[in-house]
Amino acid sequence: MPLHVGEKAFKSRVEKGLGNEFMRGAVRSAQGRLQDSRSHAAEELGDWEEWRNLGQEIRQHTMENLDFYLQQLSEKVAERGGHVYFAETADDANHYISEVIEKKKARKIAKSKSMVTEEIALNDILEEQGCNVVETDLGEYILQIDDHDPPSHIVAPALHKNKEQIRDVFKEKLGYLHTEKPEELTLFAREQLRKEFLSAEVGITGCNFAVAESGTCALVTNEGNARMVSTLPKTQITVMGMERIVPTWEELDVLVSLLTRAAVGQKLTSYVTALTGPKEESEGDGPEEFHLVVVDNGRSKILGTEFQEALHCIRCAACINVCPVYRHIGGHAYGSIYPGPIGAVLTPLLAGYEDYKELPYASSLCGACTEVCPVKIPLHEYLIDHRRNIVEKENKSNLSEKLAMQGFHKLAGSAGLFNIATKMAPFLVTPFVRDGTISKGPGPLKAWTGARELPLPQKERFRDWFKHRTKGGQHIAKRGD
Amino acid sequence: MQRGEIKNREAFLDKVAGQLGRNRRKDNVIRPKWKHQVQWKVLADLTENELVDVLEKQCEVIHTDFIRTTEKELDAKILQVLQAYGVKTALTSDDSRFSSFGLTNKYQDWKNSSDIDVFKWDIESPGQSRHLAEQADAGITFSDITLAESGTVVLFSSDGKGRSVSLLPSTYIAIIPKSSLVPRMSQAAREIHHQIESGGRISSCINFISGPSNSADIEMNLVVGVHGPIKAAYILVEDR
Amino acid sequence: MKVSIFITCLGDVFYVNAGKATVELLERYGCEVDFPETQTCCGQPAYNSGYHEKTKAAAKNMITAFEHSEYVVCPSGSCAYMFREYEELLQNEPDWKVKAAALKRKTYELTQFLTEILQIENTGAEFHAKATYHTSCHMTRLLGVKEAPLKLLSNVSGLEMVDLPNRHDCCGFGGTFSVKMPEISQQMVDEKALHIEETDADVLIGADGGCLMNIGGRLNRQKKPIKVMHIAEILNSRGDN
Repeated sequence: MPLHVGEKAFKSRVEKGLGNEFMRGAVRSAQGRLQDSRSHAAEELGDWEEWRNLGQEIRQHTMENLDFYLQQLSEKVAERGGHVYFAETADDANHYISEVIEKKKARKIAKSKSMVTEEIALNDILEEQGCNVVETDLGEYILQIDDHDPPSHIVAPALHKNKEQIRDVFKEKLGYLHTEKPEELTLFAREQLRKEFLSAEVGITGCNFAVAESGTCALVTNEGNARMVSTLPKTQITVMGMERIVPTWEELDVLVSLLTRAAVGQKLTSYVTALTGPKEESEGDGPEEFHLVVVDNGRSKILGTEFQEALHCIRCAACINVCPVYRHIGGHAYGSIYPGPIGAVLTPLLAGYEDYKELPYASSLCGACTEVCPVKIPLHEYLIDHRRNIVEKENKSNLSEKLAMQGFHKLAGSAGLFNIATKMAPFLVTPFVRDGTISKGPGPLKAWTGARELPLPQKERFRDWFKHRTKGGQHIAKRGD
Repeated sequence: MQRGEIKNREAFLDKVAGQLGRNRRKDNVIRPKWKHQVQWKVLADLTENELVDVLEKQCEVIHTDFIRTTEKELDAKILQVLQAYGVKTALTSDDSRFSSFGLTNKYQDWKNSSDIDVFKWDIESPGQSRHLAEQADAGITFSDITLAESGTVVLFSSDGKGRSVSLLPSTYIAIIPKSSLVPRMSQAAREIHHQIESGGRISSCINFISGPSNSADIEMNLVVGVHGPIKAAYILVEDR
Repeated sequence: MKVSIFITCLGDVFYVNAGKATVELLERYGCEVDFPETQTCCGQPAYNSGYHEKTKAAAKNMITAFEHSEYVVCPSGSCAYMFREYEELLQNEPDWKVKAAALKRKTYELTQFLTEILQIENTGAEFHAKATYHTSCHMTRLLGVKEAPLKLLSNVSGLEMVDLPNRHDCCGFGGTFSVKMPEISQQMVDEKALHIEETDADVLIGADGGCLMNIGGRLNRQKKPIKVMHIAEILNSRGDN
């Protein structure tokens, strides 16, 4: 399954993440910096909530009229001489791209960063076809050189690696001779990749936003690799998730403004490159042939459901950067190229509950994700909706949980039973009390007392105290025990 | 230009409409007037000179040298920048502003005094122009629209204005006529939108460039200069 | 002003002092406090676990319990917020939906009630300690009560408040999350405990029983000499600590 990364079992992926001290340190510090830059940028801009409302409003309208805007987009691209292919599945998309490359008899492909091509595992197909596919985003390049290590973050894919590891990978695979200084590593990559850009026959890019009114694809980048990929090779293929579209340039402005701030705290990235079709015939550089591949791959089945707003996502990773669960387990633990809160929402929608039923539970529902989302996707509420589906529609929760919830349902629904249960609580736990605390709880409490003490239930509950006190006519309460 | 092919569209979009629980919308979708219009408030009340100050300040953030000058001194300032960066060969786009700002006739002086070769993007031989861009130490363009807030120069590609000029050389120099300054991306986007609405043909490549290329992919350390230019300078010229 | 206490499960069984302090505080400002005895649990554990059908009985029971209350005040932001979910939960049962909306309108978290309805910023409390405050997620982000507790605490005489680093981070409780994903939850509460220690505070103050039980439970396990208290106890204190 293309989306999938890492080991099969969620539990073992989590263990691996929790045990990776370096990765956790790297993620912690990256999150710190990214959170600071994001909130600084939002503050500096001012009226951030109003910006978010605008972003949400635009995304809502666009999704509700997605067929219209995609049609308009494709017309405009075609008018400008570009080809548009609508791919229902990953296979369709890969097949089309592979055919275009085959027709060109191209062997060297330069790619700029694209999550959707990760999602459909395009590289695997092209490599099978005998192509040399070069990832040119620095982070992606590092991962590719390191035997296709999967990305762990949607904006900073190599976040989980330190500079010493990167130096060693470069040394081992590419004969790199310098130090672990990021400047030197980067310069080396620049030199290596410049050759690749100049010799690539086909460039493949993702698409941050397509503009329906003009058939434009906008790429939001910092390194300049996407510009290379869309300037030098003769053929360009741009792959977009079908929801990555805005009506006009005016909305492009708003969403780019939200994206760059939410993602990295920049007012704009170094480059926002807006490409409309192939180059004009009389122009000296740019691709002669342009293909736009619009990918569904499970997105359309989200439309019209309560999860529709998950398609509003602009892939800024702000939710990932604030998520405390992500901080501790890292991106790979999610088992999907889309990690963090948005990954926990999106992955089960795209790939089903069977393999990803744990993801919606990998959240304390703290709501930090929802609070920062620049287009106001109700992320943590969606996690609850997923849980409801897993429990009530898919019937995939385990028996002990079902029994516990059945019991809860009875108790919480009946004042009498609840009263008896809470009255009994102190007595029920008595066998487990040592030195005024519970350190080893029975049954379901075991998971709790694995790391924490459990306080003792009070013999005089609040309700007993209150009843007593009004009965005695005391209106000035005494300090309790 | 020949119209491109569209494949597989109808079934795809029918499915989208079906999921949305309705028939296809092929026309008559009116983009609403958004309830929130917050983007127009940003830097809205600033004078032109105040916008210049905003731009200058932002240049610090984006690791870009900022030079203010007059039309009269523009050539001298450019020469200074070229010298300071140790540029031996520079490539400019083919843009009439280079001559209207009196620059083209200075190139020979620069060659004589400082041994700097300045080439112009050649519409007739694009292959050679691109090759020059690979070899040149600096690329020089005029900014078409300049965004104060983000320190951005907007470049519209055309026959004479190749994409490579601002991309391949390790130094990029943008000449910014003061009159090209607007508060932020919103104004540039609206201008492009109006161009489209009135049936205009927009450039095949519109670049919004904010300083040199950079990356933070290694341990979130910012490294300036990755695939695009490593250094950038903006020269703001008072043109009115 | 008539106020009904919504004590919460944890408040009823574990944090009885917080409940008492809540009653005393409200009475000090002339509120006539009652305790509807048929109240049970708000249903959040089931709701957040996805058992929405099984939450409905709890929701209906609570709606009925507080039907005749003028105001409902709860010493927990998280449980108070749960009342706001009822309307959507019961959206297909029009009669209940209307009642749920009414409950939502009259329900307040304690510090929210003190500042918004009673218009009190200083409870005249005195408490001698160096303390830090844990902002609980649901109260801050979902209920939107951000400033009230800090404002009230800033006016407690004798109380030195220290900012908690990374205070917006979740403590890792998350209700059933803490037992369903105990390894992750433990890492989160460890990080929280570490930041609390960094403040050098003697007392950790919180406004939610769940967070307090989690953080307190971890601090106790680690034998850290930091006392964990509910904000109601601090605001009701008269310097006798």
